[in-house]
Amino acid sequence: MPHDNYDNNAQSMMPADPALRVKALETILREKGLIDTGAVDAIIDIYEHEIGPHIGANLVAQAWLNPEFKSAFLADTEMILSAAGLAGRQGEHVVVVENTSLVHNLVVCTLCSCYPWPLLGVPPAWYKSDSYRSRAVREPRKVLDEFGVSIDKHQSVRVWDSTAEIRYLVLPMQPLESYGLIETDLAKWVTRNSMIGAGLPCPPLK
Amino acid sequence: MSAIEIAVIKPPHDMGGNKALTVVPDKPGEPIFKTEWHRRVLGLTVAVGAMGAWSVDASRFARESIPISDYKRYSYYERWLAGLINLLVQRGFVDETEIIAGHAVSSAPSLWRRRILKKDNVKSVLQEGTSSKRKASIPKFEIGQKVLVKRPSDTLIVKLGHTRLPHYIAGMVGKIILLHGSHVLPNSNAHFKGEKPEPLYSVVFLASDLWESSASLSDSVVVDCWESYLTSANVK
Repeated sequence: MPHDNYDNNAQSMMPADPALRVKALETILREKGLIDTGAVDAIIDIYEHEIGPHIGANLVAQAWLNPEFKSAFLADTEMILSAAGLAGRQGEHVVVVENTSLVHNLVVCTLCSCYPWPLLGVPPAWYKSDSYRSRAVREPRKVLDEFGVSIDKHQSVRVWDSTAEIRYLVLPMQPLESYGLIETDLAKWVTRNSMIGAGLPCPPLK
Repeated sequence: MSAIEIAVIKPPHDMGGNKALTVVPDKPGEPIFKTEWHRRVLGLTVAVGAMGAWSVDASRFARESIPISDYKRYSYYERWLAGLINLLVQRGFVDETEIIAGHAVSSAPSLWRRRILKKDNVKSVLQEGTSSKRKASIPKFEIGQKVLVKRPSDTLIVKLGHTRLPHYIAGMVGKIILLHGSHVLPNSNAHFKGEKPEPLYSVVFLASDLWESSASLSDSVVVDCWESYLTSANVK
């Protein structure tokens, strides 16, 4: 808990402007030999250019097309993901939850902003916002409405609050209009938000 | 526990159920990082974390422990940055003179300089991750069993310390739906007091039990709970 003394709150002694603050910290760490600037750049590059929702989308498209893969993806998720090299940082333990005509799943982390990074990349701003973290568990249907997603009266909503190291990925329902497409085209229908439960798969923007 | 009591002790990071503004969804094509400093905060946090001087639990506790007024006004990456600075100082990696000067006064001990994340290892370190799963112990509860959730304050190992039990399920009865094996206990690990792994469960609660007005009687909320957060509920 907060103590306003120096030992526990050194951050108060650094520049208030976050851009200056992070620059000062990086300088200190580099001069002390505690970071390799090349490694910091590489981390940013990977999260900006390599890891992203297209990874999760490919798995969802595969599950839609291949019932055997789908069963394994739901039952032995960790095995499938480790074999594909996708069980990395912040996605070591993943549970896939399937949307059906009876249940719509929505994922949140009310305590911080836990998210399946190796499958979806860096979480979007709304997922990390105080509003989403506060309201998703209490009024998920209203929140979904703000995303333009209306849930059928007969469909129940199940919210998954990722309070531990288990990360949840939503397997959305395949839209009827997308039947017959090949896997690479199908993957383009699978939006990031649909794998969090805050959206539905839709045709790619032209 | 009365609503007032809960309000007094509920820390700001424990947001579940709070009244809050409309959620603003992202627009198509929105950038992953809004500004350059967001990039640097993420890169530094991950790079320093990979040195292995502390756990993800300690990082989370550091972010939660910044003064309440700062927590409330800081944006997401400002919270990360503040937590990182405080941890670096608390664990003795950076000192006061350096924080004030914005420059190093001395170099870090070679033991740590040897352990820093190098560019060539970034990919493999990210791909490997850090599993929180440990050797399984016999779980006390089984799937389908009803459980009663403790108060967050009753799960603390350190006074005013870390817990991953949110207030909105305190005192509620839920049902075990998944067993995840044994996982490192954040309540201990965040304070460098050992991993003390425990069985971890997914517990489902009826939304209508948690909230006064729930849109649908069949809606539910699932929360992951360590075994020591739960007691058995003698209800059918």
